[in-house]
Amino acid sequence: MKKLVVIGAGMASGRVLEHLFEADPAAYDVTLFNAEPRGNYNRIMLSPVLSGEKSFEEIVTHDDDWYAQNNVTCRFGEAVTGIDRDRKVVIGANGEVEYDKLVIATGSAPFIIPVPGKDLPGVVAFRDLDDVDKMKEAAGGRGRAVVIGGGLLGLEAAAALRLQGMDVTVLHLMGHLMERQLDESAGFLLRRDLENRGIEVKCQASTAEILGTDKVEGVKLTDDTVIPADLVVMAVGIRPETTIAKAAGVEVGRGIQVDAQMLTSDPDILSVGECVEFNGQLFGLVAPLYDQAKVVAATLTEYKTEFVPKELSTKLKVTGCDLFSAGDFADGEGREDIVFRDPARGIYKRLVIEDNKVIGAVFYGDTADSNWFFGLIKDGTDISEMRETLIFGPGFQGGATADPMAAVAALPLDAEICGCNGVSKGQIVEAIQGGATDLAAIKAVTKASASCGTCTGLVEQVLGVTLGDDFVIPAAQSMCGCTDLTHEEVRRLIKSQELKSMAAVHQELGWKTSCGCHVCRPALNFYLLADWPVEYQDDPQSRFINERKHANIQKDGTYSVVPRMWGGMTTPDELRAIADAAEKYNVPTVHVTGGQRIDLLGVKGEDLPDIWADLNKAGMVSGHAYAKGLRTVKTCVGKDHCRFGTQDSTGLGIKLEKKLWGSWSPHKVKLAVSGCPRNCAEATCKDIGVVCVDSGYQIGVGGAAGMDVKETERLADVASEQEAIDLATAFMQLYRENAKYLDRPYKWIAKVGLDWVKERIVDDLDERRALIERFELSQSIYQKDPWAEHVAEIADTYKPLADFQLEAAE
Amino acid sequence: MDLALDAQQRTFISVAEVWVPSGDKLVLESGNYGGLNAFAAASGKESFAMGEGLPGKAWAEARPVVLKEFDGSYFKRTEAAKAVGLTAAVAIPVFAGDDLKAVLVVICSDDDERIGAIEVWKEKDDLLMLDDGYYGAAKHFEWVSQHTHFPRGQGLPGGVLAADTPMLMRDLGSGYKFIRSESAGKAGLTTGLGLPVPVPGDDDFVLTLLSARGTPIARRFEIWDARAAKVGKAGGAVLIDGICAREGALWDEDKTRRVSAWQGLIGRVLGTGIPVVESGNVPGLAGYDSLVALPIHSDNELSHVVAWYC
Amino acid sequence: MSTVANDWVDVGSLDAIPQRGARVVKTPLGCVAVFRTHEDRVFALDNACPHKKGPLAEGIVHGNSVTCPLHNWVFDLETGQAQGADQGQVATYPARVDDGRIWLEASFLQLRAAE
Repeated sequence: MKKLVVIGAGMASGRVLEHLFEADPAAYDVTLFNAEPRGNYNRIMLSPVLSGEKSFEEIVTHDDDWYAQNNVTCRFGEAVTGIDRDRKVVIGANGEVEYDKLVIATGSAPFIIPVPGKDLPGVVAFRDLDDVDKMKEAAGGRGRAVVIGGGLLGLEAAAALRLQGMDVTVLHLMGHLMERQLDESAGFLLRRDLENRGIEVKCQASTAEILGTDKVEGVKLTDDTVIPADLVVMAVGIRPETTIAKAAGVEVGRGIQVDAQMLTSDPDILSVGECVEFNGQLFGLVAPLYDQAKVVAATLTEYKTEFVPKELSTKLKVTGCDLFSAGDFADGEGREDIVFRDPARGIYKRLVIEDNKVIGAVFYGDTADSNWFFGLIKDGTDISEMRETLIFGPGFQGGATADPMAAVAALPLDAEICGCNGVSKGQIVEAIQGGATDLAAIKAVTKASASCGTCTGLVEQVLGVTLGDDFVIPAAQSMCGCTDLTHEEVRRLIKSQELKSMAAVHQELGWKTSCGCHVCRPALNFYLLADWPVEYQDDPQSRFINERKHANIQKDGTYSVVPRMWGGMTTPDELRAIADAAEKYNVPTVHVTGGQRIDLLGVKGEDLPDIWADLNKAGMVSGHAYAKGLRTVKTCVGKDHCRFGTQDSTGLGIKLEKKLWGSWSPHKVKLAVSGCPRNCAEATCKDIGVVCVDSGYQIGVGGAAGMDVKETERLADVASEQEAIDLATAFMQLYRENAKYLDRPYKWIAKVGLDWVKERIVDDLDERRALIERFELSQSIYQKDPWAEHVAEIADTYKPLADFQLEAAE
Repeated sequence: MDLALDAQQRTFISVAEVWVPSGDKLVLESGNYGGLNAFAAASGKESFAMGEGLPGKAWAEARPVVLKEFDGSYFKRTEAAKAVGLTAAVAIPVFAGDDLKAVLVVICSDDDERIGAIEVWKEKDDLLMLDDGYYGAAKHFEWVSQHTHFPRGQGLPGGVLAADTPMLMRDLGSGYKFIRSESAGKAGLTTGLGLPVPVPGDDDFVLTLLSARGTPIARRFEIWDARAAKVGKAGGAVLIDGICAREGALWDEDKTRRVSAWQGLIGRVLGTGIPVVESGNVPGLAGYDSLVALPIHSDNELSHVVAWYC
Repeated sequence: MSTVANDWVDVGSLDAIPQRGARVVKTPLGCVAVFRTHEDRVFALDNACPHKKGPLAEGIVHGNSVTCPLHNWVFDLETGQAQGADQGQVATYPARVDDGRIWLEASFLQLRAAE
């Protein structure tokens, strides 16, 4: 096994080891040196340990067991005195270790300002647990502390020492606190917040000398002010710790120089963390160190990847101080600010915009949306469209969203959740208390959501209300980016909240965009017209071009025109009219379709109204060959001609088509009627297929012959033609009322179950009748020839708005 | 094994109950009586007008009230309490602005071994002084506390007052980290929960619960932040700190725990705005026997929820 | 050519285009799609998606974007830039509404010789 030596057990090298053992636990025999007499802990949480708000045990990231389990030889508390690159050994105080690969992770050293008295007892830095212990010894929870440095670390130390009962003064050289992360306004709010905790803050304070004889007694500033002190904390900055690397002859600038694979000038030596310099850049925050650690582990396992520095953000760990800063917020040419202030609540938010992108953000007092803004900075998102409301964050558009959990929590225990199986909320809660803590278990124990499945969301919400965050509600596929709701939830809410217009849906369900998108608009348009045929006005602008122009767009931008041929029957007159139209409008392609009709392909958009008018004159109407709706009813010639025919299959086909045509549905619907089980009309792979037999009609549903091929399932056998028509009609309406947009019937049936469908339209005659009535109501509005309508009313819109071909040619 | 079981059963607080306004009375909303059925039955029949009994007093005076001696006091259920060994109680009013949402009452049994502290601190001239407190058998610590005051920003009470947020302190007895640590260490106090108790008027109150190893107030503490400034318009709350005897640290910088309104027991507090007391076979108790979850309403919103589990 | 830059040309009335809709204007160099948004802003873009020449005028208009009817590429009407993962841009022409009439800057008649 190859030998890996790591110098320094900090957060960066800790991550390296985690990634390395994850990738290949057997790749290296690892020896880990650490000057501190302990392993890796979460150094950025040291200030809460100092304040007493966390215990050290809580911030240990790798304990003895972890190192033992991963066979890491730990040499903690042992300083490394040198590296011999020729012999490839690391020299520790207690002996040498050979390496094949070496990772230098020596981190950083605190910068101690070179003033008289800096070495007095009671002067401490704030880098590791030993420093925390030193502060405790020096102070004993009483007395006066001076913190030199008003940056992140200094302020965390100051707040922690104050909480421990010390009188604290912060000295800061610059004009406002945390000047590298905050602008002046946010710096002011932070100062006020700290002063409210009894911390004294002096800015533009330059330390001249630390006073004291055998221990610290005070700090003298360059203006001769003297501040008494029992403890002085130096927190003015850090510098990369490069002593060992430099002595070994590895190239060092400000830090140990590494390339994008984190390799130093010696190809067997890598470096990671605060000690490195990459492209002239140093690193002091944890996020880039973790990125570096991934690259180091990859390089060690001979997988090539690259370290890319990313935008950084800062938060301050002082309980009750909410601040966030990211990116670049200096004033500059071409930069603009968006600022929000709420003085009463102590809130300040500032965004810096350049070229329609957020490049910097500073928030004080309200950091709720900081991750979202940080994402905008990192991704360089163009914000021009949301500029006016940008500062209010992502939730601004669309107002408050309805909280489905509240409604479920408010339901009484006897409220029915699953209508199919009559399961109440109380029964589900009881099952959860009995140990059924996920959807599958609830289904098994109570049968809730085991049938049609439309109550799945409700059951999950009952689980959430009862179990809290132990139950993670599965992220259901939302309709589109405009909403977090699923198709099923939207359909349910359109019905239950009686939402009858697109604007009502957008408003009441908290749509995130002003008018939806190309994904949700066609679906909503269908749901609304299917559920509220009388009240809702069809919106052509929310339909795909094919349904808006009642013709199929082809890849060259021309259209195809398919007149209806009822049940696949036609006449010489109709054929003559089709032939005339094809010639008159230079139709390049005439094709006989699989649905028993004729397709004229290659018609220009502006000719559509004229060709339709000609076909209308011959008595033909649109075949809806472009629609999510009824397409064709294919038939065989039946008992009038065929010697095997058992019923009038053609006649039934025509009747079905005349009943169902013009209706919109979640997806296209194709029918067929075969006159005998030889099934010449291929009825057993249609959405609804009727096979005639001596005793009557076999009705199958849910067939498919597209991407999926599927045989129909038998819905029922009926004796009369009227029953066959009724069943087909009721099925169509049930599908229209319940399926998700763009689910063909077979997909919908797979979700709800054929039994659920049968219960409603085969077994329950009242329900069947009601469905048919609702279908007929809808047909009273939607069963009309769109071609005739467009020819009469909006033929102009098919023409160009203006034509400049002639003018320009002149 | 017997010893461990015994230790499990002895907690500092014996009874927790939530009283809510109904008309001009306070009525019992929920309670955990830990098997003291007679007292539970007596409480179920009770109701309090403003100023009446302990809950009524906390309502009328708009402040947390500590009552260490039932005999001869305004406590209405003295007979029933004495019969089951309950000897002291603390009432914490939950106000949203000027409106009383609920009164949380915790009741303790006095003996020579139960140690812990429930303290009410009141601000006066920028210093927090002990208003009153119940300490069980921790008599020396009680004396120390009576003679300690906290400036803003100092110690658990001063930190809570200055930061205007609930806070948790660890290892109270282990040295410099807690101002009263020497005495706290001797008393066996380990974890401290401090929270602001907003009331109408100008007074500032801070409540602290100090838990001891032998007779803990709780084995799990949680602090949830529900301010819009923290969680945004989506609402709900995020867990900002917590410690659990079983799971260890509950905070995770990289993976924040979040609940929405109505989601679980904490979600119920967020949804209703009143405290939740639950016990027994109820999901969401994290494997413990009981839970008290207390909302804090400040600046016109439900800002935090603190919860402790026994 | 006789038209001068910054000349504006009246191409029709605003009412002739439905809200969240579009119509085309024919030129010797191909069609220009004129869009009208929900907020009655108008935009003019080449009527050809850079992907497969899909007629953008037939797409669904949402916000200040249009989705190509052929393969669902989404374009920002203001910049002509493809949104999301798709890369590409459609030429845009200055358009304005004046007294219920739509005016396009004459550049749309001349600047597309490259096509």
